[in-house]
Amino acid sequence: MNIYHNVKAQWLAYAAFFLLLASLPIFVSDSFLLNQFATYGVFGMLALSISLCWGFGGILNLGQGIPFGLGAYGMAMTMQMQTQDASNPIPPFMLNNSLDHLPLLWEPFRHAALGIVLALVVPTLFCAIFGGLMFRARVSGPFFAIMTLAMLSAWFTLILDIQPYTNGANGITPPSPLKLGDYAVDPYSPVAYWSVLALLLVATVGAKLMTLSRFGLVVQAVRGDAERVRFLGYSVAGYETTVYTIAGFIAAVAGCCWVVLTQYVSPAQFDTTFSLSMVIWAGIGGRLSLIGAIIGAFLIQGAQSYLGDTFLNTWLLVLGAFFILVVRFLPKGLAGLVESILGRLSMPSKSNGNDVAAHRLYPQPGE
Amino acid sequence: MALGSFFGSFDLSAFFNALILGVSIASIWLIAALGLTIIYGTAGVINMAHGEFIMLGAYSSYMLQNYFGLPFLLCVPAAFIIVAAVGLVLERGLIRYLYKRPLDTLLATFGVSLVLMQGVRLIFGSDPKYLAVPPIFTSNFQLGFVNISAFRVVVLAITIALVAALWALFYRTRFGVQVRAVMQDKEMAASFGINSDRIYMLTFAIGAGLAGLAGSLFGVLNIVLPTMGAGYVVQAFLVVVVGGGTLAGSVVAGGATGELQSIFAYFTNDTFARFVLYVLIVVFLRVRPQGLFAPSATRR
Repeated sequence: MNIYHNVKAQWLAYAAFFLLLASLPIFVSDSFLLNQFATYGVFGMLALSISLCWGFGGILNLGQGIPFGLGAYGMAMTMQMQTQDASNPIPPFMLNNSLDHLPLLWEPFRHAALGIVLALVVPTLFCAIFGGLMFRARVSGPFFAIMTLAMLSAWFTLILDIQPYTNGANGITPPSPLKLGDYAVDPYSPVAYWSVLALLLVATVGAKLMTLSRFGLVVQAVRGDAERVRFLGYSVAGYETTVYTIAGFIAAVAGCCWVVLTQYVSPAQFDTTFSLSMVIWAGIGGRLSLIGAIIGAFLIQGAQSYLGDTFLNTWLLVLGAFFILVVRFLPKGLAGLVESILGRLSMPSKSNGNDVAAHRLYPQPGE
Repeated sequence: MALGSFFGSFDLSAFFNALILGVSIASIWLIAALGLTIIYGTAGVINMAHGEFIMLGAYSSYMLQNYFGLPFLLCVPAAFIIVAAVGLVLERGLIRYLYKRPLDTLLATFGVSLVLMQGVRLIFGSDPKYLAVPPIFTSNFQLGFVNISAFRVVVLAITIALVAALWALFYRTRFGVQVRAVMQDKEMAASFGINSDRIYMLTFAIGAGLAGLAGSLFGVLNIVLPTMGAGYVVQAFLVVVVGGGTLAGSVVAGGATGELQSIFAYFTNDTFARFVLYVLIVVFLRVRPQGLFAPSATRR
């Protein structure tokens, strides 16, 4: 028995991983660094959502930037409106775009609670409608991936275009941190870091429980062969839409956290490169492993921040080449590498059995 | 906006101009999608590096023009050959191991696109380059009240010629028969002695070459930048998806989407038109997920 597949060992690994992350503020006193680590937590959430959608559901989603960006814009609008008062009722950039009163689109964001709820509900609803439309028509595999990409690029152009409402390419920069009641969330404090980590923990545990549940089994069966699951009487479109929407909700939460941490949002959040890099994180870390995807995000973003300065010009070249190698030789990513090493250790004589499992990943008719 | 003012602003000659411009947009999207159609239709490979092949075509024309002094009209076929060679190397080195994993071809070719984009940026820098064309191409036609630049007419003519040539290649030659046989049933074709590996290799190279040819034309319409490919690849994909992956489908889909884009842009503006068009395509796929003209035979 490969210890990698032991559920108790998996939970232990999760506990160790999150304890390590939670103890980080004890060793790191630099508040700028802590803020950066917290944004890595946001990226971890995104990688987790991709792993859920693509790794477990078999739905390659190149448009995860849509729920992320919509959530981020909702949160930014909420935070912006918190800084406006009676003497100064509308955000400054609207004055520059010759608006003299608050547009209807911004009206609900006057109330912080309603604004945050909208920031989470709108992207989730979008995913449910878009996913429902696509999956009911049995658009799947590469076609779905391309449609998410097209949708993403449509949102990107739209957000850029309605400059009076979104400040176009400059984006929204709320001048002060988020206030929850009377409490202001300082983005550079350990509290902000722990909050993001707690959300990541809840998302990870929820996703893990989901994959272990009956629902998760059916979703993984859909990934294996959607046609057979359909013949067994399950509503494939329903399962696909649900898992896609849950992934979208996690991305929306990540978008909200991102704006709280950076106090900035721009159309770059809808950029195709950003959404594709989420897929790279999950692909390199291991799309079939939730924690692998999170670690992939940490590794790639960390390397980009620290090695990126040294290899400024060649970073994309290195990343692209590395990604090609992973896709070609390690379709399960680094987590797959760990899996096969642990497999060799636990049963040195029967390494064949593991090879079969790895081989079965290759021709999947559902993909 | 009141209905009266809506019709009041309607100007017939401007609308006619928009229709003509739509034909031009359609030809540009179609020529960008031709290579993708062939690669997807034959081998089922989703080539995310297609935009970068277009970019390579533009840069190879720029290189030939500025360092070897080749006239522009010779740069166009030269770009075809150079990018076809790049595609051939890529197919032999990477893609052929991934034919059974269509989603992974998408990811691997995205990695390739990153490498190509950054590689070109390292060699040529990120400042814009320009392609020079013979002066007769830079003039404007005035036909009645319709005004259109001569080069757009050239692009349209080349697109029509390419579609005709591809049709002849696929439906009138021995090679075309082999390609269609492999498309319908790879194993059956192989048992009749067709080397399907070779067919995949050649179609991938031809598809890449077509992207290069398109790139050498786009380099004139727009500035040449390492990132220029990204602007074309989404439209090209949509043409293929709407068309269903066949040549006839892509021609009709390219024409329809280009024309619709131009008409919507006439009533609103360019970016909003694109948003409406994309939403319409989502709705269209809900009704007809297999595209306009999907191949009727079973695929693998």
